[in-house]
Amino acid sequence: MMFRLDAHPCEWLDRKVKLSFTFEGHEYRGYGGDTISSALAAAGLPFLGRSFKYHRPRGILSFANHDSNVLFQVDGVANVRGDVTPLRDGMRVSAVNTFGGLARDKARMLGAFGRFLPVGFYYKAFHSKTLFPRWERMFRAFTGLGEVSALAERRPTPKRYGFCDVLVIGAGPSGLGAALEAAGAGARVALVDESLRFGGSVAGSIAIASEQQRSLDALLDAAAKSPMIERLPATVAAGYYADHWVALAEPERLTKMRARAVVFASGVIEQPAVFSNNDLPGIMLASGALRLLSRHRVAPGRRVVIVAANLEAYAACLELHAHGVKVAAVIDMRSDVEDDATVASCMTLGVRIVKAHAPYHAVPGAHGAVRALEFAPIDAAGQIHAKAVQRIDCDAVLLSVGWAGAVQLLLQAGATTHYSDAFQQFLPHDLPPGVFAAGRVNGVYDFASRIADGRRAGAMAAAHAGFGATAGDQLAPPIARSRRCPSHRFPIIDHPGAKNFVDFDEDLQVKDLENAAQEGFDSSELMKRYSTVGMGPSQGKHSNLNALRVLARVRGIGVAELGLTTARPMYQPVPMKLLAGRSFLAERRTPIDAEHTASGCVWMPAGNWRRPEYYARAGETRAESIAAEVHAVRTRVGLIDVGTLGKIEIYGPQAGEFLDRVYTGKFSNLRVGMTRYGLMLDEAGVIIDDGVIARLSEESFYFTTTTSGSATVFRELLRMNALWGLDCALVNVTGHRAAFNFAGPASRDLLQALTDTDLAEAAFPFLGVREAPIAGYLARLMRVGFVGELGYEIHVSAGAAAGVWRALVAAGRDHGLRPFGVEAQRLLRLEKGHLIVSQDTDGLTDPIQANAMWAVSMQKPFFVGQRSLKILQSRAPRQLLVGVEIDASAPLPKECHLVIDQGNIAGRITSIARSATLGKSIGLALLSPELAKPGCQLSIRVDGGAIAHARVVPTPFYDPKNLRQKAAGAP
Amino acid sequence: MTASSLKRRSGRERLGLKGPQAALWLGSQGVAVPAAPNTVLIEEPQDLLIARLGTSEFFVEAAAGPTIARLSRSLAEKPPGVFPVLREDWGFDLAGEDVHAVLAQVCNVNFAALAPTSSPVIMTMMVGVAVLVVPQAAGQGRCCYRIWCDPTFGPYLGEALGAVVVESGGISTGVSA
Repeated sequence: MMFRLDAHPCEWLDRKVKLSFTFEGHEYRGYGGDTISSALAAAGLPFLGRSFKYHRPRGILSFANHDSNVLFQVDGVANVRGDVTPLRDGMRVSAVNTFGGLARDKARMLGAFGRFLPVGFYYKAFHSKTLFPRWERMFRAFTGLGEVSALAERRPTPKRYGFCDVLVIGAGPSGLGAALEAAGAGARVALVDESLRFGGSVAGSIAIASEQQRSLDALLDAAAKSPMIERLPATVAAGYYADHWVALAEPERLTKMRARAVVFASGVIEQPAVFSNNDLPGIMLASGALRLLSRHRVAPGRRVVIVAANLEAYAACLELHAHGVKVAAVIDMRSDVEDDATVASCMTLGVRIVKAHAPYHAVPGAHGAVRALEFAPIDAAGQIHAKAVQRIDCDAVLLSVGWAGAVQLLLQAGATTHYSDAFQQFLPHDLPPGVFAAGRVNGVYDFASRIADGRRAGAMAAAHAGFGATAGDQLAPPIARSRRCPSHRFPIIDHPGAKNFVDFDEDLQVKDLENAAQEGFDSSELMKRYSTVGMGPSQGKHSNLNALRVLARVRGIGVAELGLTTARPMYQPVPMKLLAGRSFLAERRTPIDAEHTASGCVWMPAGNWRRPEYYARAGETRAESIAAEVHAVRTRVGLIDVGTLGKIEIYGPQAGEFLDRVYTGKFSNLRVGMTRYGLMLDEAGVIIDDGVIARLSEESFYFTTTTSGSATVFRELLRMNALWGLDCALVNVTGHRAAFNFAGPASRDLLQALTDTDLAEAAFPFLGVREAPIAGYLARLMRVGFVGELGYEIHVSAGAAAGVWRALVAAGRDHGLRPFGVEAQRLLRLEKGHLIVSQDTDGLTDPIQANAMWAVSMQKPFFVGQRSLKILQSRAPRQLLVGVEIDASAPLPKECHLVIDQGNIAGRITSIARSATLGKSIGLALLSPELAKPGCQLSIRVDGGAIAHARVVPTPFYDPKNLRQKAAGAP
Repeated sequence: MTASSLKRRSGRERLGLKGPQAALWLGSQGVAVPAAPNTVLIEEPQDLLIARLGTSEFFVEAAAGPTIARLSRSLAEKPPGVFPVLREDWGFDLAGEDVHAVLAQVCNVNFAALAPTSSPVIMTMMVGVAVLVVPQAAGQGRCCYRIWCDPTFGPYLGEALGAVVVESGGISTGVSA
């Protein structure tokens, strides 16, 4: 059982800071500098979590944020990584994935049913359609780690862009060497490491040669003092994207770092041995135990056994001894152990060293933690001799059998790797330009060589970024890779009782992977997807290599022939809050936004604008306010802000010809001072936009687009003019101009009071355009009829908007003027049967279907979509847009409710509303042509499956002869 | 000196124009134009700023007064090959020691790497809004950035930038509508 040692200069603790926290409802204490896991380990808890599938007890494994054994729910936040999360006073911590608490987890019985839950069992069961909903509910309840509360407070975190010449990932000896070399050449360097302090695996050791420690300290000191190195500890390089763009995840910030060159000094990840019960609490990776020991002064146990297959095991043994921890034995899986000083020192200390033996079975104690290890001889062929099993009592087993290169980010960067049989490690093979590897990930293990390899890579990275001299061939580093093999070829021991786990995240045993291969999922990718190996929170850091070894054995081939699975971001799980960051949702507001607020408007989003939906009045419901606004326009005068419309100016001798090409109508013959409706199509003849085009002079036009189409249309017009090269210039003034629609029978008289320009019918007819001062501000006035009443669209510069709006409101105050919003406008135009592009049209609607061929001049030499329209004219239309009137007794359909004819879909409602003006419910619908004749009876399926009856009627519904908008005389 | 500060540019008038003869016309009006596309000239002491956007479009800003009015009147006479571009932009000044840390949170342009003597005009996106940015060297290595945007995005840009400035320990004044 783990326990806390006395203070030591190497520790990261601040023992003056005493912290208290709760875990599973019980109070515990720790120190400043502790992590959640280290504090719990120091308290001697037998286990800290439950496994995903079988709910087996689990303890610390890597102490490096590389495994998911110690995920916690902390103060309402799910899946907090206990190994690396600093302890805070008052934390409330609990285990995840338990039912009824960690100690008495009800699901712990699942392990007994393991034989009924083989790998992939869910693909073969639960086929009953009747029972499937029950299984689905059960799985939803059982699966998942941690709880996400929909009520949790949103905590936005900042995101930023970062820039550097050389990004160095990993701040161990090779990373530090790379950073200093690149900085020395003049490059700006960003140095990142996932650990809270730089120095890598060597830092904090008290048993390694003091010369090594001094070298490391000198590197750390130089890096800290260099003004060219930005240091980012506690930062994970989570994903690599194109052009050396790397996502750096800090605890509370995401940096999107753009580098010119990247050095991967990402090191290696220690791998577990696979044997029966290798997942018991108390069994951990040796490197993790050493981190826990040196940083937090927590001993792994009082009687430790080390399972070895490399020299690092013996270094660990010496380290433990230096900290006063007893090592009962080193069980070395090899028969030939190096003739090295560390081995000799262990022997001098009297440590029992057992060669050519392998761990066979870990014996659990009363609380589930390890209390003894059974080990047996293993021969050169890897066969275990189970009959000669021995047993040794212990309360901790440290595994030091090998490493896997942390190559996932390198692979994301486009590098390839090859599996070295001599090294038992995937090593970088081909590196793309600007990508360099150094240190143990590059197969260089010797301390001094790691620094030298880092310096080599740093120099080459700096040179690639344009700093320092050009370096040599990056594929053949002058730094020799280590001659000794640091990893066991096959640290996997079979056992009749199984429970020899390959993937701790997914509770996958050796037999699970063998079964997957036997079922035909016998490539690395297929085995991964069928068994889920490597798909847990650890993303295969401790399981991928051993899984490949198992698969290679099943297939009788080498690991090199299998290859790694495709590496994709994220390398480490990244909290969603970092990816979301701060919300930047750009919102547009018209220049008189404040006037609307002051008038009591209720806002609604309209694309990326905010617009008044209606104007609330005391004593009125929403429906009553909208109806009153409509009534004001029909009987007196209303005022609406239409400033969201796209507004474009075009100048030049070929401006008219340009408009003739982009719109279906003819505009080169439009008289100066007049407007015309314009329909815009794409090459397929589909309606994409509409607007009003006004001719201001021989060589200048001013035209509008839909609100949602303004940016796209302007971009398309620029593109087309770049292709055609016509002598004209386009100017987008959408945001720089405001626009209002002043409409109603009283609009002319009220507006006349604000201008000296003659607004009489003869001087300013329907569809005319004039430039005139309104209340002292220069404006463009267009007589348009969107809402079907005498009215004027008034366009002014944004700076003049408030003044003009106030003048209009003041002019109409004593005449019953009401500002009206989007909802009233939609009803008013519906009463006139005017379509709204993208509401009453879809991605296939052409002018024929929309009954808008009146706006098309087919005889023009060319316009965009003309050729397609000619073809469409020769065919029967698929659908037609018509007016509909709903039976008075029928429920009111909604937009997109379907028209049903003899059991088939025959169309849909596109616009619908109850019209108080007309005393009936009206709408527009796209229908199959057979039903689109006036008088046809329709059946519309509404919510709940009921049927509303309607009939096709001609449009406009209101003022069919359009007399009111032309308004020859005042009413 | 504050860490960073954001304030709205007030007391300024703006004018835009484009066309094949635009550069020559400005010259004929006594206004010097930048020679290279996407560069800016700032004439002291009247603080007349002329930005060349691409090859044939110009953005002119000056203190409220006769300069812009004179140019506008001349432009209204419709000189051949010169077309007006209505400019009602919202303008902001972003400055301070931490200005680059603020900019790094809102824009993916590496402003810190720009040479202060190069007089660039940068057309980019900032917090989802198309902006025009002109960096200006200030004393002691600090930088000030002039930022303009479409007026309909102005309130949002001011609020979004201001929030980042304040969160970074700076001051934001007068940026709302």
